[in-house]
Amino acid sequence: MSEEKIVSRGGIKLPVHVNRRLVRYYWDRLKKNKLSLAGLGFIVFLALLGTFGPFFAADPQHVDFDVKNLPPLGFSTQESIYDIKTSTFTTTVHPGRSDHPLGTDSKGRDMLAMLISGSRISLLVGLLATGIAISLGTFLGVLSAYLGGWADNLLMRFTDVMMTFPFFLLLVLIVFIFGPSLTIIVIVIGLTGWTGAARLIRSEALSLRTRDFITASKALGASDNRIIFNHLIPNVASLIIVMATLSIPGVIMAEAALSFIGMGDPMSTSWGTILNTGQHTLDTAWWVAVEPGIMLFLTVLSFNFFGDGLRDAFDPKATV
Amino acid sequence: MRNYIIKRLIYSIIIAWGILTITFVLLRVGPSSPVDRYILNIAARGQDVDSVKQAIEARYGLNKPITEQYFSYMGNLLQGNWGWSFSASMPVLELIGSHWIYSFQLILLATIFAIILGVGLGMLAAVKQNTKFDYAASIFSFIGISIPGFWLGLMLILVFAVYLGFFKTYYDTNYPIWSLENLKQLILPVMALGIGELAGYVRYTRSAMLDNLHKEFVTTARAKGLPESTVIGKHVLRNAILPLVTIIMFDLGSVVFGGAYLTEIVFGIPGLGQVSFNAIFADDYAVVVAVTLIGTFLVLFINLATDLFYTYLDPRIRYE
Repeated sequence: MSEEKIVSRGGIKLPVHVNRRLVRYYWDRLKKNKLSLAGLGFIVFLALLGTFGPFFAADPQHVDFDVKNLPPLGFSTQESIYDIKTSTFTTTVHPGRSDHPLGTDSKGRDMLAMLISGSRISLLVGLLATGIAISLGTFLGVLSAYLGGWADNLLMRFTDVMMTFPFFLLLVLIVFIFGPSLTIIVIVIGLTGWTGAARLIRSEALSLRTRDFITASKALGASDNRIIFNHLIPNVASLIIVMATLSIPGVIMAEAALSFIGMGDPMSTSWGTILNTGQHTLDTAWWVAVEPGIMLFLTVLSFNFFGDGLRDAFDPKATV
Repeated sequence: MRNYIIKRLIYSIIIAWGILTITFVLLRVGPSSPVDRYILNIAARGQDVDSVKQAIEARYGLNKPITEQYFSYMGNLLQGNWGWSFSASMPVLELIGSHWIYSFQLILLATIFAIILGVGLGMLAAVKQNTKFDYAASIFSFIGISIPGFWLGLMLILVFAVYLGFFKTYYDTNYPIWSLENLKQLILPVMALGIGELAGYVRYTRSAMLDNLHKEFVTTARAKGLPESTVIGKHVLRNAILPLVTIIMFDLGSVVFGGAYLTEIVFGIPGLGQVSFNAIFADDYAVVVAVTLIGTFLVLFINLATDLFYTYLDPRIRYE
């Protein structure tokens, strides 16, 4: 369904095709990949949970030692107490309670509330940091390819240094120096994660640059800006979208790993933070280590499935 | 060829120098000082904090301008002096010398495990393309890629050490490095680190095998009446191995810097990852810079070795 709009450019009226058919075509191809759709479904669910969940859930940071180490609904824990006066063992069974359906941790914090808070943080960090990294990577990649010569060389050598830099060590180092806060974590991951994107976009832009339609628009007197923004970037758009989708899981894992080793933002509860508490109570409260890990795993899996499906949908050579 | 190697070596040294400089500056411009860790002790003994702090800083040259510290550090490094670890109270080289073997062993075993199983499964999946086995292998590799290694480690400890009691829940350093007891307690860490790698290798092996499986030389080999095992094992695999070598070698770099560090922390293995994390928290810059530098050189060396290995695997490749 191609709609024709009349747009005025520089005093000349031009018809512009808003190609809805293309979007429809990609969606139809994507729909055939069931795993990819399932991934998208889980991402949407997570986004809704992270956006609206915290308004309904309990306070994830609320500590209540009376209800510590409660198991999830359907499970129970046993507590054996030896009474020294009567020399008898009394075994109390603590079943899961419906006011804490997923249990509580060693400080009595509600697991459900913490997981909801974690989904908000994971998605936020994942999207923002990937946004920064991919924009920076695209900009530097296109710039590098377009400028060529010594500027290209310099940019690519700098990319090499950044790529060889031990990423996780750098992350820990910077977060240690500037203090653990979500803003710092997002900025650091964003500012260090652009190298792969820059290289890929550069090589793609280099091959596009010599193509006939670019030469044609140059011959028609198009400015550098116009060529970059109207021809180069739209032609690498699908590549950018796929790359962004597939880099989100890495970012989410990096944030979780950082919080897991105790360098997360202390003011917020992320899945990694819960795992950090959970690793010390593996023998008394296994669910504290299991639940956030399952969420993390499902999230990463969903983005991988969805990204993989997107790549196939955008690739005209792939059969879906 | 010789010129190429020399060029690459010079280039590697420049990259390593860049990384060294960034790490050094990051650590030394940070707000905290290596002396900070002594201060609590000093205050507890009732000594004057400022005068002792100045004395320590003067002794290690920390009160000089940062540029002077940098040049004296570089000067020492070029003479083979890696500096002094404040937190471990021993020369950095000695500290690294007593811990590197743990990391090396873990990474070596995990990589062997991943290559053997990953390439094997990938080959089988390619030969049995579009069968149930192929789908199962593909789902398994998606799961393996998406599962966070440190969480997998926690889950392995939970199931096999806490509940089934097959292993100890901590790493015992009393065993000799290559003794059977030590290798036994490395089973879980090797799995936690190796499964992520393995999953990637399954995918890459499968697609590299499929690329070659339907080429004409394979038909020729079959027409000659060669047994299927020779066709797959010799003719197809040998042609599929080139892209695989790249992936495996580059993956090794990310294993050295990412996965192995976290695995060491989860399992309490006293390798270089553990050492560098402790050093970051203690602001022990000489150790951090040294570990970063060694890791960087390792990755650069692996990259160079990969490129040179190519000329052996594929004699058509020549470097200028």
